[in-house]
Amino acid sequence: MKRLLCTIAAAALPLGAATAQDAYVIGVSGAMTGPVAANYAPVVEAMKAYLDHVNARGGVNGRQLRVLVLDDQAQPSRAATNAKQLLVQDKVVMLLNASLSSTYAPMIAESKRAGVPLYYAGAVCPKETYPPADPLQFCSTAFGANLDSQAALAFIKRNSKDSVRLGLAAMAIPIARAEIDYAEGLSKTLGMTPVEKQISPPPAPDYTPFATKLKDANPTWVWSWSPWVSQVRVFEAMRRLGWNGRYVTWAHLNAEEELARIRDGEFYVIGTNAFMEDNLPIHAEIRAVAARAKLDYPVSYLTEGFVAGLVVESVLRNTPWPPTPQKVLAAMNNVKVDMKGLRGGPLEWTKDNHFRTRQHYRVWRWDPQGGRIVRAQDWQAIEVKR
Amino acid sequence: MSGYYRTRYAEDAALLDTRTQKAWLAAFVVALVVYPFLAGVLWLDLANQVLLASIGAIALMLLTGFAGQISLGHAGLLAAGAFTTGILFKELNAPFWVTLPASAAVGAVLGLLFGLPSLRLRGLYLAVSTLALHFIVIFAGGEYETKRGYSTGIVIESPIADARAWYFVLLAAAAATLLFALNLLRARTGRAWRAIHGREAVAEALGISVHRAKLSAFVVSSTLTALAGCLFAYYRGFVSAEAFSLYLTIQYVAMIIIGGMGSLLGAILGTVFVVLFPYVIDTAMAGLGLSDRLSSVVFAVNYAAFGLVMIAFLVFEPQGLVGLWRRVRDWLLLWPFKQTPLR
Amino acid sequence: MQLAVNILVLASIYALICCGYVLIYRVSRVLSLAHGELMMLGAYGLYATASLFSGHPLIALAAAGALALAVGVAVYFALMWRMTGESVLAAVLATIALGILLRGAMILMFGTQTQHPLRDLGWTNGSLEVGAARISAVGLALILSTALVYGGLALFLRATRWGIRMRAAGQHPLLAAQRGIGLHGIYALAWGLATFTGGLAGMLIACDAGLESTLVIIGLKAFPAALVGGLDSLVGALVGSLVVAAAEVVLIHYVDPLLSDVVPFVILLAMLVVRPWGLFGTREELDRV
Repeated sequence: MKRLLCTIAAAALPLGAATAQDAYVIGVSGAMTGPVAANYAPVVEAMKAYLDHVNARGGVNGRQLRVLVLDDQAQPSRAATNAKQLLVQDKVVMLLNASLSSTYAPMIAESKRAGVPLYYAGAVCPKETYPPADPLQFCSTAFGANLDSQAALAFIKRNSKDSVRLGLAAMAIPIARAEIDYAEGLSKTLGMTPVEKQISPPPAPDYTPFATKLKDANPTWVWSWSPWVSQVRVFEAMRRLGWNGRYVTWAHLNAEEELARIRDGEFYVIGTNAFMEDNLPIHAEIRAVAARAKLDYPVSYLTEGFVAGLVVESVLRNTPWPPTPQKVLAAMNNVKVDMKGLRGGPLEWTKDNHFRTRQHYRVWRWDPQGGRIVRAQDWQAIEVKR
Repeated sequence: MSGYYRTRYAEDAALLDTRTQKAWLAAFVVALVVYPFLAGVLWLDLANQVLLASIGAIALMLLTGFAGQISLGHAGLLAAGAFTTGILFKELNAPFWVTLPASAAVGAVLGLLFGLPSLRLRGLYLAVSTLALHFIVIFAGGEYETKRGYSTGIVIESPIADARAWYFVLLAAAAATLLFALNLLRARTGRAWRAIHGREAVAEALGISVHRAKLSAFVVSSTLTALAGCLFAYYRGFVSAEAFSLYLTIQYVAMIIIGGMGSLLGAILGTVFVVLFPYVIDTAMAGLGLSDRLSSVVFAVNYAAFGLVMIAFLVFEPQGLVGLWRRVRDWLLLWPFKQTPLR
Repeated sequence: MQLAVNILVLASIYALICCGYVLIYRVSRVLSLAHGELMMLGAYGLYATASLFSGHPLIALAAAGALALAVGVAVYFALMWRMTGESVLAAVLATIALGILLRGAMILMFGTQTQHPLRDLGWTNGSLEVGAARISAVGLALILSTALVYGGLALFLRATRWGIRMRAAGQHPLLAAQRGIGLHGIYALAWGLATFTGGLAGMLIACDAGLESTLVIIGLKAFPAALVGGLDSLVGALVGSLVVAAAEVVLIHYVDPLLSDVVPFVILLAMLVVRPWGLFGTREELDRV
């Protein structure tokens, strides 16, 4: 963490003496290391790399951006310590969380005490960011509880002529189970028949027993919303058992890579972030930034972090100098960020809605004939209301 | 031949003997009281963590260090205290003077349960049975979380918010636990525990009910641990099953091993060591300039270093930090004379 | 029928892992809680040799196996020989600390991303039909290797000199030492074999499902199977694995998949209450364990 401070200070030096007074300072507590780091560290690193890139272009409102990153290893006590340090010692104007949901409560408490907005970048959005939103909590992360199931089930309904026999699979963590339970209820209202729901503990040595139970119920479609490992292993086990149905699952950071590895034409991933294979100008920018910062993650993992970087840049641009947490909060309550194609539409926050006003979903699958990833559905929007 | 003799039983059982000791204690107490006003945010937080963890460590030391009963279910007991607090808070909106005794009661009951295998099993098998109970408690906690919809955990409102206020509360709690333990150890119960740790058959022959001693060890230790869990819940403001993993148990066991088994001072030294260890590693890495290459794997370095340190203590200094302290103290006392301790 | 196949595959996973626990405990009366990490080390070894010997999968497999064997022996001589004669808690904690150290070292060397050794070896995990059921290629490999390993070990322990020496050292170390059997060599061999079988289990699981840090927890899940069967009996390990695997699969299918996580430990507790030394273990003093 001190190294990061030094590198940022060092990077800023050639552009003139950037003292603490002269910069916008934000603080991040993230799971940079530890067993779950693979999901969160790329987000923070990508965001930091993008903001360094912004600094190199002259910064925001003529000032530099300083990002202080502290590692909390997905532990709540460390997150609390980090939050205290960032708020009291470093006096950041925005606090970010890129870590497991168990770190939320202590950071929320600290941010409330200091009156500094808390922004979940890359971490799952808590219900408090949906309208009516908690005044200090904001979120830009792609996946959204309940909305994802709505979009997925809508996609399934749109793509099946006969009545749907729906299978559901999730990992035995409370958040995934809650989502699958919701999907089960929702499917009934859409006229589908939920035939089987399998919750597998993390980790299981063999997913075949769970897949067997699912396959025996003979679903035509299966929807799974969980950490990637559980999603994909249930699918692979079901395929080995001879099931030929269609499987829809959430597109995590590594979805693009995994589609190319699995090469199954009936394996669909649904997500809100554009894939690298779209080859938009912004993707070239991502590649350039990643190369310059020497990030050693696959480039397809960096989209979420870039989204966060774009949001931070836009918010701070609308924060007049000198920045205070209140001004930042005012800016965040009224922001519309152009995602440049990384998402289906701009990210909008209002006083009431700190998630986004509209969530756009795309669905992809692998095309066995063409040997590449194709879109099964283009951007479909879902309004986020109360 | 120090010229200091104990002539009465009261002197033998007293916690402090000489005036020097009392003076040192007074100075230490003053230092502890003044600390929060001088320490920075980070150091205050670390001190709070140390104080909180020391309650659990003392409890485990009583069970494993003094009574000799191996328990690998410590995280499960902490979780039980924390979840009791969380459940009572969410379901009944109970204030802390209800949740604290409730957690203690749950801890006592679980202690009885965890302790029952110890009547038949020893050593390895006892450790394994406590491990199994740990998993069952965690599973139950996770089920509650899911069934009631608290998928990201249970949020608890704490009556105390300020770090300094927490410091004094935790200091009082830790001091109370320490005094309680010291008193227990110099009374009949403590002597019974030491006896069954030494040789069970002989203890039974001396008239000590081995079963009662074992169960009392488990019950006392679990009650203290559950209380620590309750404080945990209030301090973090948050309870979730993921926070109570096997690694937490291993950390507590490491605290008592690194501190030195069979000594309450060891429990406290071990706690300080284990809590501060990750930060020491961070600083060392930053200082050595290695942090450049290894910053993304600091966690792994922490892990590896922790394992290495534990192994080093187990192999080279089985008496732990207390053993080291005693060696230093003896060297100082005997200087300029040298004495190799009898093995 | 499918259920039976699932049970067999799961049981072979557990049996292969338990083999390591049983070997070490039988010979040196030490419970190695680092077995999960050693499994993962074996799997990472395969990943490393697969990239090294890309194009020659069989050589990669053999090299990984030899590596696991060597690591086991090295672990003994680096650490465990110092813990002989120490208390139970100290020895178990030494293995726990070793596990922590290995986990940290592996993350440092290989990173936290999921790897797919099967793909690096150039093979795919197809599925085969067995009567009315289907089994994956890796599942079949698991069953076969478990059978081979156990058969080989049984032969080794009964028929070869070193095997008989191992059994002697396990039964009565003092007499064995006085008879001229080098105990350190025996213990090192036991650790080597245990790490080899554990590594083999890790490799096969990684081929089936991908290699990531959660592999370690599977090692811990297999532990109840070893205890149910008896910590010093290989036959017990097989039977225990079958019992635990059957309970898990049947519960997943007929009751509730969530219970599969906690059922092994409930069975473990039940066994400890009723018959602590397991189904086939030697009835121990339970005193100086």
